[in-house]
Amino acid sequence: MFKMSEYSFVAGLLAVALALVCYGIAFASVRVARRRSVLAVAGGLGAEGGPGGATVTVVSRGPGGIATYGTLIAWLALAFVTVSLMFRTIAVGHGPFANMYEFSVAFAWGVLAMYLYFEHRYGQRVLGLIALPVALGLLFYATTIPSTSEPLVPALQNNLLLTTHVAVAIVAYGTFSVAFAAALLYIVQPEGGRRPLPRPEVLDEISYRAVVIGFPFLTLVIVLGAVWAQVAWGSYWSWDPKETASLFTWLLYGAYLHARVVRGWRGKRAAWLLVAGFGATLFTYFGNLFFGGLHSYSGLD
Amino acid sequence: MSQLSRTGPLGPGADVDGVEVAFSVWPSDALDRLWRIFTSMRTALVLMLTLATLALIGAVLIQAPAGLQSDAQAYAAWLDALRPKYGGWVPIFDRIGLLSVFQSIWFKAILVGLTTSILACSVNRFRGLWKTAVHPRTRMAGTFYDRAPHSYTLETDVDHTTAVQVARGVLGASRFRTVAEADGDIVHVYADRFRWAPFGTLLAHVSLVSILVGALVGSAFGFRNNELAVTVGTTVDVGGGTGLALLARSFSDSYYTNGAPSDYASDLVLYRDGVEVASKTIRVNEPLEYDGVTFYQSFFGPAALMQVSDAEGAVVYEQGVPLLWASDDEKRRIGQFALVDAGLTVFVVGPASGRVDPTIKAGQMQVEVYQRGAERPSAIEIISQGEPATIGDLSFTFQREQQFTGMIVARDPGVIFVWFGSFLLVGGLFLVFMFPNRRIWAAVRERPDGRSEVRLGATARHDATFGPDFQKLVNDMRLALGQAAN
Repeated sequence: MFKMSEYSFVAGLLAVALALVCYGIAFASVRVARRRSVLAVAGGLGAEGGPGGATVTVVSRGPGGIATYGTLIAWLALAFVTVSLMFRTIAVGHGPFANMYEFSVAFAWGVLAMYLYFEHRYGQRVLGLIALPVALGLLFYATTIPSTSEPLVPALQNNLLLTTHVAVAIVAYGTFSVAFAAALLYIVQPEGGRRPLPRPEVLDEISYRAVVIGFPFLTLVIVLGAVWAQVAWGSYWSWDPKETASLFTWLLYGAYLHARVVRGWRGKRAAWLLVAGFGATLFTYFGNLFFGGLHSYSGLD
Repeated sequence: MSQLSRTGPLGPGADVDGVEVAFSVWPSDALDRLWRIFTSMRTALVLMLTLATLALIGAVLIQAPAGLQSDAQAYAAWLDALRPKYGGWVPIFDRIGLLSVFQSIWFKAILVGLTTSILACSVNRFRGLWKTAVHPRTRMAGTFYDRAPHSYTLETDVDHTTAVQVARGVLGASRFRTVAEADGDIVHVYADRFRWAPFGTLLAHVSLVSILVGALVGSAFGFRNNELAVTVGTTVDVGGGTGLALLARSFSDSYYTNGAPSDYASDLVLYRDGVEVASKTIRVNEPLEYDGVTFYQSFFGPAALMQVSDAEGAVVYEQGVPLLWASDDEKRRIGQFALVDAGLTVFVVGPASGRVDPTIKAGQMQVEVYQRGAERPSAIEIISQGEPATIGDLSFTFQREQQFTGMIVARDPGVIFVWFGSFLLVGGLFLVFMFPNRRIWAAVRERPDGRSEVRLGATARHDATFGPDFQKLVNDMRLALGQAAN
């Protein structure tokens, strides 16, 4: 089972990398095509929209194809990572959430799943240029740490809470990665947007939808964590560094939700909050490696 | 007009019901200003970001355990232990309170500010939410349809009564509630969906207050002992006004082959007034709860069963002494008990497990007797198991070694508020975000040429997915009107 899990993991990693290459080529060729079409129009070959527009359509048919392959491969990658996690679950006998290796693969799964959901819904593959590297980074990170499975220490021996607490976190973290990707694309654009990037309103909407899903889930993560802490550590909140970091993350996304309706805060400033929020997410995620505390389950000591 | 834009001509703060128009419940200007500050989203935002900053500091810098500062000596020692990590910054961090952020006045002030803001905003919004849900504005002027972010005009051959029926039917099929109202030659149709969902915002905000109340109640009326150590085979009073006594029948610690712990289990019996009231084998994830008091498995270690008798041979002390502390070099374990009547404090010192001590051999304990308040011990003696030793006019016997099991005992009457708040918080958030409240207005008019005109309009602030759904409704309605015409 471990072998099967590892094979699917490697397949997933390669598929993510390949998908990223496809997305990159597709995006680059759209840019080239646009530049050509702009030149064509500027050269007086056609009035606005006419031949110029036609050029775009013709040239982008190629990249359209490779982008479709990219999406297909990304779904394949998700399938591989899912299978890898499933084999791992069978092999270790609990949710694959008990050490840093398992968290990282699961986190990558969350990023892939949420990204693909949003791609399916909004058709903005450009987001993949940021979300896929995040997933790839996590999978690469997983290759650098021991994948051995140790039996659960007493505090983790709560299958229900181990599974729900971390599974819900994976959903939240995945959506925050999507929000981060959209926010970053929002920030790099000048006022009014720049082709071929999606329009700022669309990016703003994607970020918002992602946080609207992620925020209740993050809240649930913290609440389930508090329930578990009450059962295992005797107190629902003890200002453990990881708890505190998750509160920090929660406050940033809460602030974002409020910022969107405050004049002077919507737009770029709200987008920066999302970038900070994702930074906080990663900080919360990797935090237990350097700030110690009760959440010391990485298996990396 | 872009369908994705949420900042339409009505302006970001405006709402068709006038929901966000400020109203005053205070007589004076100053209070009015204060009210406006606390109901302002900007204030809430600033408070949240400040709190986030404090949380970040609290996560990055090591924080003093709660209550440590009341013990100056222990606190100084704790600060010293930080020096290798933070160097010369330690006194500076300490001075500006960065090492106890969550006990600081700043933290408390921000919590008070946020709570005030949450309550003020909730009161402020309640009226609007209630009005929107129960007495919504059902008719809109023509200019609304000209300027609404989402709007569409359909023309049809059917008469306007049929058009109204069709419009209501299509909206109803999408699970909208509809209200129709005739006004001259125009029939106004108002439709809404999930009209109670916006109260989720209110629940989510008020829930935070409930959680804070829970924390306050817990710290004011709760009882907690993080270090209740019971030597196996002995009974101790739980304390804290619980009237309970706890017997540890057994303790076991088990390990995997790799040396990692696999299980800690204590077999406990709980007594009240000498009567057994509860018993359970507790584990790390399985505490024992009785009458609001909960016992959590937390730590364990060696203990010494000690007996002390006076000159007449009467036993004045017979208990297990948990060797709770490790010496600075970690080579020895130290426990302590008091002989109240004799005015003595006795320390019991033994070798740490797996350590060979040159002076305290296996089967021996070192006993250090202090007069109450004395700096130095009046006697130090190494005694062997089962051999009474006389110190002063008392006879000390180290009966045998045993294990102790350490528990956290807590009674937290505030926890119910915390869970109630947590439930409301998660429920409220899912309600408001997963069931977006939607509102559509329609005006149906019969034109002089006998054709009918259906104008649809919606504002849908902060609801990005509304655009496609609105389009679908328009299409459905066009189809339905077409069918009705044939």
